Amino acid sequence: MEQPKKKTYVEDIERALYDIKDIDRSRYKSKSGLTEEIIRDISRRKHDPQWMLDFRLKSLEVYHSLALPAWGPDISELNMDEIVTYVQPDAKLSGDWQEVPEDIKDTFDRLGIPEAEQKSLGGVGAQYDSEVVYHSIQEDLTRQGVIYTDMETALREQEELVKEYFMTLVPPKDHKFAALHGAVWSGGSFVYVPEGVQVDIPLQSYFRLNAAGAGQFEHTLIIVEKGASLHFIEGCSAPRHNVTNLHAGCVELFVKEGARLRYSTIENWSRNMMNLNTKRALVEKDGLIEWVSGSFGSHISCLYPCSVLHGENARCEFTGVTFASRGQNLDTGASVIHAAPHTSANINTRTISKAGGAATYRSAVKVTKNAPYAKCSVNCESLMLDDESRSDTLPVMDIQGAEANIGHEAKIGRISDEAIFYLMSRGIDENEARAMIVRGFVEPIAKELPLEYAVEMNNLVNLELEGTMG
Amino acid sequence: MRKMTAISEEIFSAIPLPTWRWLGVNEAKVPAGVNIKEAMRQEIVVAAGQQRTLSRQERAGASELHIRLEPGADFALEQAVLLTAGQSSATRLKVTVSDGAKFSYTGAYVGGAEAAAAVEVELLGKESRADVWALYLGDDRNKIDLNYIIRQQGRRTEANMQVRGALLTGAEKIFRGTLDFLQGTKGSVGRENEEVLLLSEDVRNRSVPLMLSHEDEVDGHHAVSVGQMDEEKLFYLQSRGLSPEEARRLMVTAVLQPVMDRFSEEVREKVMSELEGRLSHE
Repeated sequence: MEQPKKKTYVEDIERALYDIKDIDRSRYKSKSGLTEEIIRDISRRKHDPQWMLDFRLKSLEVYHSLALPAWGPDISELNMDEIVTYVQPDAKLSGDWQEVPEDIKDTFDRLGIPEAEQKSLGGVGAQYDSEVVYHSIQEDLTRQGVIYTDMETALREQEELVKEYFMTLVPPKDHKFAALHGAVWSGGSFVYVPEGVQVDIPLQSYFRLNAAGAGQFEHTLIIVEKGASLHFIEGCSAPRHNVTNLHAGCVELFVKEGARLRYSTIENWSRNMMNLNTKRALVEKDGLIEWVSGSFGSHISCLYPCSVLHGENARCEFTGVTFASRGQNLDTGASVIHAAPHTSANINTRTISKAGGAATYRSAVKVTKNAPYAKCSVNCESLMLDDESRSDTLPVMDIQGAEANIGHEAKIGRISDEAIFYLMSRGIDENEARAMIVRGFVEPIAKELPLEYAVEMNNLVNLELEGTMG
Repeated sequence: MRKMTAISEEIFSAIPLPTWRWLGVNEAKVPAGVNIKEAMRQEIVVAAGQQRTLSRQERAGASELHIRLEPGADFALEQAVLLTAGQSSATRLKVTVSDGAKFSYTGAYVGGAEAAAAVEVELLGKESRADVWALYLGDDRNKIDLNYIIRQQGRRTEANMQVRGALLTGAEKIFRGTLDFLQGTKGSVGRENEEVLLLSEDVRNRSVPLMLSHEDEVDGHHAVSVGQMDEEKLFYLQSRGLSPEEARRLMVTAVLQPVMDRFSEEVREKVMSELEGRLSHE
């Protein structure tokens, strides 16, 4: 009888910080469910222009006409009749941190948002349930014409810009949850970086969903004009409730000629959250989109940032890490559409699954007939820490034309005993050798993260070193 | 009700886990004009410890082959699907492999209008092995649609899937290759590799290398490489006196050679002659 190998135990992310619940003191909550009456009510309360109300109602029609996806994690437990789509916090949008109500302020203080603003950010937005409660931006950025505000303010003050871009990249008919988003969206960030302006310090938005049984549907719209650059950081968290919460946000990024945008996300939703988020970037000639994506939380996630390389020499860099533990089914990945000559993409991901968690890497690389000399390299590695867990890789490459160079490589498995033995032969003790190997596994991703998030991710590899890895 | 039956009949095979519908790779359809209900069906059992080989040349229509390898059996199958213009085929292969048995497969898909193939190998026994190799040449607007699955269930199994192909003049091809490590297949190794040469502007290549795992003590690796001819190598060959056509032909056959070398001499000559004929007509 073969002796089962001892496993190295990798701790879960410490969630205590995120799981502190505030008393639900919302000013208004819509009825649960999804009806035309609810949509009209949300729209009226948000003072939408008529075209936005029409857009919401049309999206609702599309929502009802589309089926649930036939692929990916089972989301049949989601009952939209039980989800409250709009929760207005008891706070007005403020540019002064002192004016934010104490309990909400305390929550963001615990998460380190104001501290990060002082130290290293050019602007901060904080959304609590369905509305943004705080927004600030450094004056010198405003002077250069940079706009960073919540979506509702943008809809009032930059209506033509919003109308030109809103849900053009992710149309409601794209899938059922894009349609849902179109119908009930609320909050989110709007960023406009004028031509040639380099925003050297990052802007950050933080989304916190406090109310039980609620949905968060924030919309992020970023336009980086010709030759400009921006780093945008998005953080998400929620306390754990016993009922299902839903996040169906939408991110639309427009990267114009020669522009550069880095979009970093750390999703750390609670384990009762369904995270069905849609993110897409349209990249014009010589533009660059860089995605850094960490998926740690939620019960179920479906997240695949998509880059449409629309102009010649447009580029995409995608770096992602996913960590699935007990009760989690995290279906993540990326897609790239090469739609112009000489476009290139580089996708690099790591997944870890443990304690019955399921991690799936799903991707698509499509090279259209209009994209000769396209280049794409995909690398995904999966580490499984026990045989209760699942790790699946489902990449698809669809290439038209003769002038493309596409490479894909994936590995799955455990850490080899030989690697540990080698390090030990170089004088490193066994425990440290194992820790080095696991840190090395996620290192390509960790080095791309903003510092505070890299520290958070290092908690991932807080190893209780016992036995061999695997 | 009748309509639903008609739709289900059109599906020839599917990948074990579906992905986005817009990619059109979840299912393979039965080629037009092929009736899979009338498939020529053969069942083979290779008794414990026996060694056997089988060479099949498939023509138009449907065929189905079920193979059971008993403990320690060793079975090598070569299958050449060589179709003439306008012909279509649907070939299905189902194999179960017991303890210590080895299944070795070499396939070729050349010519015709549409060739669909489903290969499913179950490595049930401990230390069972599957070595699956295939080549394809798509040309003259034909369609090649392959769905290969190796499921690893026993302990210390070994799976190796190697596919090489070239696409020219309007050809469309989908290769789905799945390595599925089931729970309990401890100590197993899986390798999958596909190399594709794109030789014409109007071709379409879809590659779907799936790797599924419910076991940690495994070592799985897959890779896909899709590209065109190396211009520098072509130039070098021409500088040594080869015509551009000869240089091109040599480079295509070089990519397919590792698979070609596994065929028996008789089948190799047939496949080679088909390839040469098609490459010289492009």
